[in-house]
Amino acid sequence: MSTATRSLAFAARSLLRQPGRAGVGILGIAAVGALLFDMLLLSRGLVVSFRELLDSVGFDVRILSSDSLPMGGARLANASQIARDLAALPEVAEAIPIRVIDAEAVPAVGFALMAIDGDFRAGRAGRAGRDGGYEGSEGLVINQRLADALKVKAGDTIRVRVSCVSGRAPLPPSPFPVAGVGEFPFDDGAQLTASTSWARLRSACGGEGDDADMLLVASREGHGADAAVRAIRRARPDLHPATNEEIVARMQQGSFSYFRQISAVLSTITLLFGFLLITVLLTVSVNQRLAEIAAVRALGFSRGRVAADVLWQSALLVGSGGLLAVPLGFALSLWLDRILKAMPGVPTSIHFFVFEPRALALHATLLVVTALAAAMYPIRLVAALPIAETLRNEVV
Amino acid sequence: MARRAIVSLAAAALALAQTLGDNTAASQADVTRDGPPELLVSRQLLEAQHLSVGEVVSISADPKGDQPQPFRIAGVYEPLPDPMRLGALRHEVRLHLPDLVSLTSSADSVDAINVALPDPATAAAFAREVAPRLPGMMVRSTSAPDEAQRAATFIVLDRFHLAIAIVTVIGSSVFLLALTLMLVDERRETVGILRLIGFRRRRILLYMLAEGVVLAGTGAITGVVLAALLQGGVNRFFQWRYDTALLFVRVTPGVVARSIAMSVPLGVLASIASSWTLLRHEAISLSRR
Amino acid sequence: MIDGRALTKTFPMVAGPVHALRGVSLTIAAGEYLAVRGPSGCGKSTLLHILGCVDTPTSGTLEFEGRAIEALPDAERSRLRLLAIGFVFQRFFLLPMLTAAENIEVPQAEAGVGRVERRRRTAELLDYVGLAHRADHRPAQLSGGEAQRVAIARALANRPRLLLADEPTGELDRATGEQIAALIDRVNADGTAVVVVTHDAAIAERARRTLLMRDGTLEL
Repeated sequence: MSTATRSLAFAARSLLRQPGRAGVGILGIAAVGALLFDMLLLSRGLVVSFRELLDSVGFDVRILSSDSLPMGGARLANASQIARDLAALPEVAEAIPIRVIDAEAVPAVGFALMAIDGDFRAGRAGRAGRDGGYEGSEGLVINQRLADALKVKAGDTIRVRVSCVSGRAPLPPSPFPVAGVGEFPFDDGAQLTASTSWARLRSACGGEGDDADMLLVASREGHGADAAVRAIRRARPDLHPATNEEIVARMQQGSFSYFRQISAVLSTITLLFGFLLITVLLTVSVNQRLAEIAAVRALGFSRGRVAADVLWQSALLVGSGGLLAVPLGFALSLWLDRILKAMPGVPTSIHFFVFEPRALALHATLLVVTALAAAMYPIRLVAALPIAETLRNEVV
Repeated sequence: MARRAIVSLAAAALALAQTLGDNTAASQADVTRDGPPELLVSRQLLEAQHLSVGEVVSISADPKGDQPQPFRIAGVYEPLPDPMRLGALRHEVRLHLPDLVSLTSSADSVDAINVALPDPATAAAFAREVAPRLPGMMVRSTSAPDEAQRAATFIVLDRFHLAIAIVTVIGSSVFLLALTLMLVDERRETVGILRLIGFRRRRILLYMLAEGVVLAGTGAITGVVLAALLQGGVNRFFQWRYDTALLFVRVTPGVVARSIAMSVPLGVLASIASSWTLLRHEAISLSRR
Repeated sequence: MIDGRALTKTFPMVAGPVHALRGVSLTIAAGEYLAVRGPSGCGKSTLLHILGCVDTPTSGTLEFEGRAIEALPDAERSRLRLLAIGFVFQRFFLLPMLTAAENIEVPQAEAGVGRVERRRRTAELLDYVGLAHRADHRPAQLSGGEAQRVAIARALANRPRLLLADEPTGELDRATGEQIAALIDRVNADGTAVVVVTHDAAIAERARRTLLMRDGTLEL
């Protein structure tokens, strides 16, 4: 049996002589370890999930009017011409303007109307047609909530009033056939959304409204998003292209920063908590066994040997608790994710807690560091223990 | 039914009357006749662009900066701390409404007219009544959906924080149990001797209960004091981090009461539970080394 | 085997230094049986700790089989205690979470003895001390005399050349103490040098040489 195995076995026996205390220590580490794990998932969860959402739509570059977040700045005028110019670039496979305006279905059901141009397959850009796909260009694809609110289905016609220009009175309602009921990946749990073609919206706006909130651009295979962005900047320096990665970075600076902060704060607190718990457990355990430790030192155990015993005890407590913490953390993350997803404005396809192997690796690393740090003081106690004095005090 | 109409624009003319006040309004006529019109800048914008009060700046409604107009900075204001805009750059200006209309060439039109009713609960009914009288306009009750939506975010965050707190309390309770188990274990021999002398289990349990109450109460109060001392630092850090005047932590009497109401019973329970693990043994086995 | 010259040990205390040993010199030959007697507080346990390399003298020299002990690093002194010296304490100090057999195996495992050899040696020692039938019992299940016998077996686990016993019968009744004293006699008869610290004259009489200590010095 190697020294390490001997030490491990000895440490396990030492812990098992106080099973209640050891069990409580493990449970405590499991509880805080679960929270730590979740905070590590949360620290990048939104970023990962949002990036996946952006990528899933099929476009890797977005053109904005400024260096702000999508849908947050002024509109891009002459969007159709911009799209044609960009689509002509060798680095660009496709460029589509998108615009979201307020609309109202008569009698008085407000919803967001998204106009999106181009010949695209059903399922991209939020126009997944569950009812066999969308073929024509005259109708609306609506989401299920809007269908339920209006009590309509594919094939029905609804009258819609659109607000084409901010500051102007909305136009009288015009008929829109319902082409299908689909899912829009950026919808939150309460949103009423519909989409139509660019041409149909311009028609409903009396030929006006060639302004886009942004353009969606897909880079050509073999070039990549960064190359597309460089090409767009060269061709149209007045535009503000951003890759999905850059969009996510902007979100991280703004909206996501709260969750990063709380993740950092709670991770620190849980680590401190775990450190304190194990340090106290081990220190009290050592203090209660000083005479016994002095005796085994007198028998020939070296300082390193008794220190290894304490270190292994720490590793066993933290390791066992840490193992328990992972499934606990998963279960907890499901609960916390469900709570946070109820936030208005959060797309239903977004998750706050996303598993990444690096989170597990970081979790394990942090627990190892905690186990080491927690053992330092009790190790110092046993290593510096005056054997003779301790034995004398025990007799007295 | 008396109605009071408050005209507001997006962020630019928000709370014009509140910000500029009567004095400013009174001097407005003088200013517009002599020199460029005035505006207020947010503190964040002033610092970011190294501006100063009295300086003349050019403002354009066009992203490319076309057709700028000069304005004199009349003052600085602290944007209303808005949790919904945490992390957002509060680079804002406030203009008089006529100046904004002129700047944006919106030809005496506004984006919206907000109506404040004496009884907000009648908003939906009011909207239904007014809508037919304003053809081509959308009349909508803003209190219910938007306010509920604004509150919904914080309700969700509140639930999230509560969930975190529950987990933390569970972890803390386990820690507390571990500590009390160790404390009680150190008294093993003493308890054994007391039992051998003739002390009844209940007597010793009561003693430990009293000790548990004192410890838990002292711990709870110490925790509250610590939180109260730390809240200043926490708020200052996050206010610096997000450049906002929002308060992030507030130790209120309600929070104190809830903390004590949770921690004292937990401490007492842990004390009793760990004491019972000792008292259930026979006295002689406790006093043996 | 052991050569100690002018050994002193001073404990600095708040109320003033305590001179536990004042220039003690002694030699112990291989296979010798030595008893150190004296009143409580005379320094006999301090002397035993220094002889057993558990403590270091304030001044003076100590050689164990020709090696100067005070210059040895802690790791080597630990190794010496593990392989060459056995300790028996007044309070036994058996590890409570291990059985009698496991307590005896601990020093052997630490010395790197293989499992088969450990088991064989442990069985042999349990037989030697008459406790083969209590091998799987924990210390809490043993009487005082049985616990001390297990402690002696543990001290002999790695075949030490020297056995040091600090008041080995201090916690035992007379009859049980006699049994322990007889066992120690047997250990010495089998070739191990023994140094017993005791205030019990009956135990000291069994040794071939007795040293009297008083106030940190030896009375010859």
